[in-house]
Amino acid sequence: MQHSKRLAALTLSAAFMAPGLAAEAQELRVTVWTGSDAHLAMLNGIADGFEAENPGTTVTFETIPFSEYTRGLTLQLAGGNPPDVGWLLESDAPTFVSAGVLADIGPALRGDADYNYGDFAEPAMGLWVDGDAVYGVPFSTSPFMIFYNATAFEEAGLPTPVGLAEEGNWTWEALRSSAAALSDGANGFWGFEGKDGQGYDSRILHAMMPPIRAYGGDAWTDGQCGFTSSEAIAAMELYHAMIFDDGSVVPPGEIGDFFAGDAAMTINQISRVTRLADAGFEWGIAPLPTGPDGQADVIGQAALVVFEQGEHKDLATALIAHMTSAESVAIMAEFFPPARSSVLASDAFIQSNPAISPAQMAMVKDAIENGVVLPAHENYPQIFAAMSPRVDALWQADADVGAVMASVCEAIAGDL
Amino acid sequence: MQTCWLLSLSIVAVPFVFPFLWMIASSFKNAAEVLGSTSLIPETIRWTNYVEVFEYQPFARQYFNSLYIAVLVSAGTLVISSLAGYALARMRFAGAGLLMLFLVSALMVPEEVTIIPNFFLFGWLDLMDTHWPLVLLPVFGSHGVMATFLMRQYFLAIPKELEEAGKMDGLSRLGIWWKIALPMSRPALAAVTIITFLFSWNLFLEPLVFLSSREMFTLPLALNNFTDAYGAPLWHLQLAATSLAVVPVLVVYILAQRQIMESFALSGVKG
Amino acid sequence: MEAWLFLSPTVIGFTIFFLGPLIAVFGYSLTEWNLLTQRATWVGLENYADALGQNPDFWPVLRNSLIFAVGLVPMNMALALGLALSLSRPAFGNVFFRVVFFAPVVTSAVAWAIVWKFLLQGEAGAVNQTLAVIGIDGPNWLREPDWAMFAVIFTRVIKMVGLNMILYIAALQSVPRDYEAAAVLEGASRLQIFRWIIWPLLAPTTLVIMVVTTIGSLKIFDHIFLMTRGGPENGTLVLAFYIYQQAFEFFNVGYAAALAVIMFVVILALTLLQVALRNRNAS
Repeated sequence: MQHSKRLAALTLSAAFMAPGLAAEAQELRVTVWTGSDAHLAMLNGIADGFEAENPGTTVTFETIPFSEYTRGLTLQLAGGNPPDVGWLLESDAPTFVSAGVLADIGPALRGDADYNYGDFAEPAMGLWVDGDAVYGVPFSTSPFMIFYNATAFEEAGLPTPVGLAEEGNWTWEALRSSAAALSDGANGFWGFEGKDGQGYDSRILHAMMPPIRAYGGDAWTDGQCGFTSSEAIAAMELYHAMIFDDGSVVPPGEIGDFFAGDAAMTINQISRVTRLADAGFEWGIAPLPTGPDGQADVIGQAALVVFEQGEHKDLATALIAHMTSAESVAIMAEFFPPARSSVLASDAFIQSNPAISPAQMAMVKDAIENGVVLPAHENYPQIFAAMSPRVDALWQADADVGAVMASVCEAIAGDL
Repeated sequence: MQTCWLLSLSIVAVPFVFPFLWMIASSFKNAAEVLGSTSLIPETIRWTNYVEVFEYQPFARQYFNSLYIAVLVSAGTLVISSLAGYALARMRFAGAGLLMLFLVSALMVPEEVTIIPNFFLFGWLDLMDTHWPLVLLPVFGSHGVMATFLMRQYFLAIPKELEEAGKMDGLSRLGIWWKIALPMSRPALAAVTIITFLFSWNLFLEPLVFLSSREMFTLPLALNNFTDAYGAPLWHLQLAATSLAVVPVLVVYILAQRQIMESFALSGVKG
Repeated sequence: MEAWLFLSPTVIGFTIFFLGPLIAVFGYSLTEWNLLTQRATWVGLENYADALGQNPDFWPVLRNSLIFAVGLVPMNMALALGLALSLSRPAFGNVFFRVVFFAPVVTSAVAWAIVWKFLLQGEAGAVNQTLAVIGIDGPNWLREPDWAMFAVIFTRVIKMVGLNMILYIAALQSVPRDYEAAAVLEGASRLQIFRWIIWPLLAPTTLVIMVVTTIGSLKIFDHIFLMTRGGPENGTLVLAFYIYQQAFEFFNVGYAAALAVIMFVVILALTLLQVALRNRNAS
């Protein structure tokens, strides 16, 4: 009896101590939301270089699915199990910065002459700096583009989005009529698919922002809700009509994956090009359509951050510096458009992705230079959670768009 | 009349059976076909779905996680509940009534109520992203209490003579428990084991809250996790994985159905 | 004393992992505590006032929980009783059907939800395709608030009814045969036998089943999380999921704790009510 009790006590204390003992070999844990093999291979390749420079260090990438990312990350931080480095979305930036959970890496980055901190365009850094403090380094400043199924357009004899854009006729109305013409819902082929098929769920803002901004509206400005503006309502009425009157958009609850060839067009970012590797159709990229307010490019940004609670902050900061060096950024440009002006301007960028033609990359570059990042807010989790159920009402055939938008503003007013 | 009865029962049985058939059939289709056709027979049988399931996530590891955790929880619950159940059934001591009251209250409190403090507790103990919470919480939480009451109920119904005989033979309480009461309560022990195993196997909230790395996931979490890089579900993989999770349990169930159903019936007697 | 030797693991574990947290929850509910920033401030009973008074979401959530319970319990019990009555006598095919009806009970809730989420899809889902064959245009089940609630209730009933069915079967099989035989001899119809003999004898079982099923339906979480996440338009947002959402998605630990306390009180009250009713009926 005594013997086994002592043994149990020893085992228990050993179990508690084990994590501490293992700290000798430094392990840096990086949370990301991509599960794509291609992306992870690239990231691991860059990390290999860091490991070589810092022997005894291993870098592991941990995937948390996108829809769970913020929640999963917060749970890790709150549960005392913080990662060292992580990806962070633009919409979460204000929340995490004001929560004080991100480490200020400004001094380290500015102090490193080789790093060339000034290379980062100021607009791109907007969400990630607070005064002199730098809380994150954007590794992806990726505009929303229109992906289209060139084969489908050709077979239908319709002018492609790119063609229309060159003529200056690529408007939301044009997108609507193209989608309607190509759509064949009864046979499982739709004219348009929301971003990553989640335009009705976790990516409602991604779905709503392109049309709303093209019409001149915005989600919120200076604490004022923008969804009830006439521009926003007009934009959403167009989109609603596309879904329910034209039947040209993949409806809620249905699956019509552009990358599988079930939709003629979708809005997405160039990192998704990996999904077209086995595409059974010709595809192209076009800029977002213009609206009454002209061209309004929408940019999705993601940054690398160091967590204040992490145990190896200095090493983690060094890792970020390595991953966002001019060299690494040029490698990542294949999927993640850079925030470094030098890389953006270089030929290397235009030619970085073998699957994307230089002409198309030039479109991407234009969009980055002219675009505005997706809306963000300090209370973003609350705002999004309050908005989502109200926006659900939009996806009904008989929805009164104006009334739904009013209820959205009402729901989020307190948090803005 | 007989056929009429059988026919109506068969119709009622459709929503009970069809999901399983459909799940298994679809697990052999490719992604497009899963959504495209509703025929039960796949066009081509794709065994590769099952292979991909293991490549996509450390699925084998996750399966094993669910298994060994369920075994630990069952073993732990068996020991703790049979000990405590026996004490509550056979021993008189001060505070018995109060203790019973406390334990009964546990049956009414759902996991969501105590999960938040437990979240902080395990964080403070540095046991996040380990399996410790998944073992400790069921054993000592409301499920353990339910098992204790089940054992107590059963012990109460055992005739006392054998135990008294044991006492006269000089056995200690522990001896009586081990050598007489336990062997006589096999049906209850089996019931506790079966119910607890299934309970642990199907736990969802605790793994959701306490686990973050994929190697540590249990099956319910893993099944929910077959989404592509951007969050859309990979139906053909999800259904193959779900089949892998469900079919073995079903097979065991069909083989031991009488035992299993009796166990659950026993648990209902506790009132 | 010896008793405490037997009981110590239970008592210690119970105190650490249950009683302690339960008391802690009361404490948390008196603070405003953000899970992300980890900053907590004392606010007294403000969370309760917020839930019960100002927050427009709370009462609809409670209503949803009650609708779910009121929808599920009668459907479940009636079906369970019906199936039990059909299958309690040894007869051809009985074992087969019992196995079939009980199978969903042992199936993982995640698996069940995944499969049904798929079957209930708007156009491509098997349910609507089948309905289309007989000319009915099925609704987009999980995307319309009222239908979603119905779908969630229905699929949950199918999943759990087998359990109540075997409880009823056990009870039916312990009904003394002589009563029935005597009644048949006196010319009573099947319906009369049921109404006057079987049903009263089932009363204790019925009450137990009702209490357990009601509590279970008020605690429902997994099913909602996996099928609808509380949507659409918060139409299936029930209390347990609301608590989870507030704590782990909105990061409002204090408010979630207050909700948890309220949930505990509601369940406690309903249980005591049902027990009191049972005692009154029994006497």
